Amino acid sequence: MSASAAQLRLATAPESDAATDLNSLLVRVGRGDENAFAAIYDDLGASVFGLARRVIRDPSRAEEVAQEVFIQLWQSAARFDPARGNAKSWVLTLAHRRAVDAVRHDQAATNRENRYDWSSGPDFDEVEETVTITLEHEQVKRCLDGLTELQREAVNLAYYQGYTYAEVATALDANTATVKTRMRDGIVRLRDCMGVEAS
Amino acid sequence: MTTDLHSLMAPYALDALDAEERSRFETHLDQCVDCQVEIAGFMATAVRLGDAVSHTPPPALRERLLTEIGNTPQERPIVTALAERRGLRRSLPRLAVAAAFLVGAVGVGGFVVERQNAAEEHDQNVAISSVLSADDVASSAKTFETGGTVTMYSSASADSAVIIAKGLPSPGAGKVYQVWMIDHSGPTSQGTFTTNGQMIMKGVAGADRVAVTVEPEGGSAQPTSAPVATIAV
Repeated sequence: MSASAAQLRLATAPESDAATDLNSLLVRVGRGDENAFAAIYDDLGASVFGLARRVIRDPSRAEEVAQEVFIQLWQSAARFDPARGNAKSWVLTLAHRRAVDAVRHDQAATNRENRYDWSSGPDFDEVEETVTITLEHEQVKRCLDGLTELQREAVNLAYYQGYTYAEVATALDANTATVKTRMRDGIVRLRDCMGVEAS
Repeated sequence: MTTDLHSLMAPYALDALDAEERSRFETHLDQCVDCQVEIAGFMATAVRLGDAVSHTPPPALRERLLTEIGNTPQERPIVTALAERRGLRRSLPRLAVAAAFLVGAVGVGGFVVERQNAAEEHDQNVAISSVLSADDVASSAKTFETGGTVTMYSSASADSAVIIAKGLPSPGAGKVYQVWMIDHSGPTSQGTFTTNGQMIMKGVAGADRVAVTVEPEGGSAQPTSAPVATIAV
């Protein structure tokens, strides 16, 4: 059984003109078009930098990561296939993964330096507050508010703080199976609340 | 290793897996059509979360990037690479050429997932799955300082091992990475890849170690350079 292009396609709302434009811009970047690259940066730069900044916190480190993301976009744009997904999802997925990898890498280095500094993880009231207050997108905020507290904590710690589910389990003093279930229930509820359609 | 891979779907979409589990899950995802449908909705949801925290970057970033891309080579289009691999399969028929290049595969939706012909791919995927899900599977990994990881999953009961390479630095123009299984009689080529790939090796019982070297495009009959990675079997 081979996966068809349709099944591989990222689920999205019906493609807007803006999404189509970004897709064709990214295809042009794959052919070495520097103007198309600048146009993509102007459109997605704030999304990429903002996401990196949210996960990493340190603005100058976030800037480095955002730069890496756009350089990688430049290098590998030829592999982008608009029939199988949209450019914005591709870029933001890449940005999030880079940011998470960076924050884990930096954390591991810090832990090596401070071997006996057993910090107990973040203060959850603070996490909750910083995540929800600065969310610009009303719908996302409303949908996050619609989660149970445990689902929201699990999603927040993983997505916005770069925790692995095992780290989330330690931080929340829960077992890993429970955390995975919370994440799943949370993301299903978010998906339905945001009206993301599985195509 | 008894983790139900299906339960990793939400953690994967949230990037809440460590590198080893992420790699294992992507290998599973590539073969699981049901998962691909569901993960697409999860990933799109995660993208919405990501897009909700945008923040204007410092103006200097734009200038730096526009300067830097002027000095940064781009990957070549995929069509060329596919043609090369077809040629390679003809010339070295016993190679298990990297079947489905993951490239963050479905996860980073939009990347082309390269495929060989369906039957060949299916057989290989079944074989890879059986190793990854074996009760006695063991893994070891080598991470490159410049980024990228080569991970080997081996199972004595299946007498097989799976090699997964992810995000290795480019081997250089006109070069590929070549994987060798080394036993008492010397190295045997297992296939080549550029920066990402997976391949299965059968008959690992007598093998001593697996090595990765940089070779000219098309691969070499015997290693011509010192290994960039060696993993004990």
